[in-house]
Amino acid sequence: MKAIIDPAAVVAEARRRAGLSQRELGERAGIAQPAVARLERAGANPTLRTLEALAAAAGFTLRLVLEPAAPPDAVVERYKRDVDRTLLRENLRRTVDERVRSLGEWQHDMRELQAATRRARSRAKGRR
Amino acid sequence: MTGLERLLAALGDAKVAFIIVGGVAARAHGSSRLTDHLDIVPARDKDNLARLVAALAPLKPYLRGAPPGLPFEWSARTLEAGLNFTLTTTAGSIDLLGEITGGGMYEDLAPHALTITLFKREVQLLDLPWLIRVKRAAGRPRDLEVVAELEALREELER
Repeated sequence: MKAIIDPAAVVAEARRRAGLSQRELGERAGIAQPAVARLERAGANPTLRTLEALAAAAGFTLRLVLEPAAPPDAVVERYKRDVDRTLLRENLRRTVDERVRSLGEWQHDMRELQAATRRARSRAKGRR
Repeated sequence: MTGLERLLAALGDAKVAFIIVGGVAARAHGSSRLTDHLDIVPARDKDNLARLVAALAPLKPYLRGAPPGLPFEWSARTLEAGLNFTLTTTAGSIDLLGEITGGGMYEDLAPHALTITLFKREVQLLDLPWLIRVKRAAGRPRDLEVVAELEALREELER
């Protein structure tokens, strides 16, 4: 069975499996289509009651299962100790657009740096 | 305009349906890592592939690492026949991923995508929990290092 880990995915998956449009699912559950669209968006946080209603409207029963949490990955935990969180905090203060723009600028600068290094190597070779 | 912006502008202006994954997605979420290529998962319906081909054609896409002069036809038919393409373009490198380990295809990822405004265009970006999930599933040592940073990011966001 496909694992689903967030409520928005549960709604979208139930609707898709039932072959319903957002409007059709909304009509069956007594919810307006834009609200269904909102619930399917990543990060949506519907109540359990709403989830149950939407699952039922799509012909499913919602079942919650408690499973033991996977133990933390030792390798990831070790790597995590070395993460420079000051860089992350700096980035989190920026907008998404600024973060990606700075990546593009860095890429450009790195290419310049590589080209300069190639030129220097080639000059050094010429002198030998 | 940087290469990354040119690639995203070309895709956005042609209304290509795609989700940004990989290093650029990680950067957008706040990662401090640098990457030198754009990874995207495009929708693979015929119309979208045609838009994708038209969008990138002016940037002269070619198979990355392949010797020049191979009979590579940049067309929707070529994209339909394959799943993943690692390409070089005049605006930089781009990987077109039909399916990603632990995440699936465009339709599987779409419910886990955030719509963000980037370079004045709306683009879809894989959300942080799913980015962690697919990186974990990829399972290469370098991916685990990225997972560590992404998990640290998630902890920072939850503080």
